[in-house]
Amino acid sequence: MAADLKDTEFINQLVNGDKNALYLLYDKYSAALYGVILRMCREEDLAKDLLQESFIKIWQNIGSYDAEKGKFYTWAYRIAKNTTLNELRKSTPLIQTEDLSVYENKNADLEETDYTALKGILSDLEPHHQQAIDLVYFKGQTHREAHKVMNVPLGSFKSYIRQALMKLRERRSELSLLILLIEVFGNG
Amino acid sequence: MDKKKILEDGLLEQYLLGELSDEQEILIQKVLKEDADLRTIFEGLEEEFEKIAFENAILPPDSVKKALRKAIETSGENTKVRDISGPKKNDTFNTGRLAVAASFAAIFALSSFWLYNRWQTAEDNLRTLQEQTIALQDRLSNLEQTFEVTNKRFQTINNRNVIPLLLKGNRIFPESRAVAYVNHTTKSVMVNAQGLPPLEKEKTYQMWADVDGVMINMGLLPTDTDLIPLKYIDRAESFNITIEPAGGNDHPTVENLISNVLL
Repeated sequence: MAADLKDTEFINQLVNGDKNALYLLYDKYSAALYGVILRMCREEDLAKDLLQESFIKIWQNIGSYDAEKGKFYTWAYRIAKNTTLNELRKSTPLIQTEDLSVYENKNADLEETDYTALKGILSDLEPHHQQAIDLVYFKGQTHREAHKVMNVPLGSFKSYIRQALMKLRERRSELSLLILLIEVFGNG
Repeated sequence: MDKKKILEDGLLEQYLLGELSDEQEILIQKVLKEDADLRTIFEGLEEEFEKIAFENAILPPDSVKKALRKAIETSGENTKVRDISGPKKNDTFNTGRLAVAASFAAIFALSSFWLYNRWQTAEDNLRTLQEQTIALQDRLSNLEQTFEVTNKRFQTINNRNVIPLLLKGNRIFPESRAVAYVNHTTKSVMVNAQGLPPLEKEKTYQMWADVDGVMINMGLLPTDTDLIPLKYIDRAESFNITIEPAGGNDHPTVENLISNVLL
């Protein structure tokens, strides 16, 4: 698999027990992972704990990382996602303390807060494409769970994900071309 | 597995997101090793998802890195995750739930303590009741035995075949009284000697039957017993009471005769 050379170097150092390599990887990836964790758990104090726990797991389990199977970020993302999901499952109340009839509205309110709002090119996509990516990537839901939330067949949901990723790539290509043209004409 | 099916089923996306089962993961890893096209597509997906993550990145507070650094430096590989956020000021929901849980625990503990005390009290009461029941049973048993004895004695003396004979004291003990109940049908004699004056320890009352001028021993008469069964002697003409050395005598001491009655 293609790997960032710097990452490969840091990972090798980390495998050899170099703690500084962990802090360098933290500097590079913590914000991306924190964005995922915070959107999943929607609670800043908990998200900070989970981010720390995720990096401790990375430190403890780096020996099991196999670059042949995927990028370091993909591996780290899975650790952060599973750590968060496990915590959320653990803290799910056994006694219903809320009025479920307003639960969906409450989620909708939370989504409107700044830290959960989607940014970047993703925010340019059509709402159903945004929601599909948001559910599987930032909410930690499986395809089988997410299609029910969107109330569409599983096949349609898979199409949403494929189309969303395709549109993201197209949009990114357009932006790259635009930046290139600006640079060319700007210098010309 | 067919490449087209892998792509249409979104298995690469699900593999990336960690949604597949262990068997499916191994299968996809094998396919990715063998199929360069699929590998390129997967790398594109990884890139795209990573870009999404970086575009939506949120910078964590410095305290997280400091806490991570401290945890790693102090505890080494066996680091346990520490709560870096300190007191959760905004965590009212969790605090509320903890408070509810703590309240339930307190109520449970108090009710357990109360129930334990009640149980102990009930145990004590039961033990006391059992002891009282046993004591009552003993008393009842004793009363039954006493009643049986008394009834037997009553039946013995309250019988038309029984002849009561009063043995009055002579000049030696003029106030002494003893009553003998004789039943010639059943050939039994019972004597109530409680009316005889108490004697010194080394002396005792003894009763004799006179048959043709010969005094025959009927038995000793302790004064602390209400009815004393004595030996029935055929053809007795009179009953006589003498004072004898403790343990009784083979022959009556005539000068110590205190009472007699003719039959």
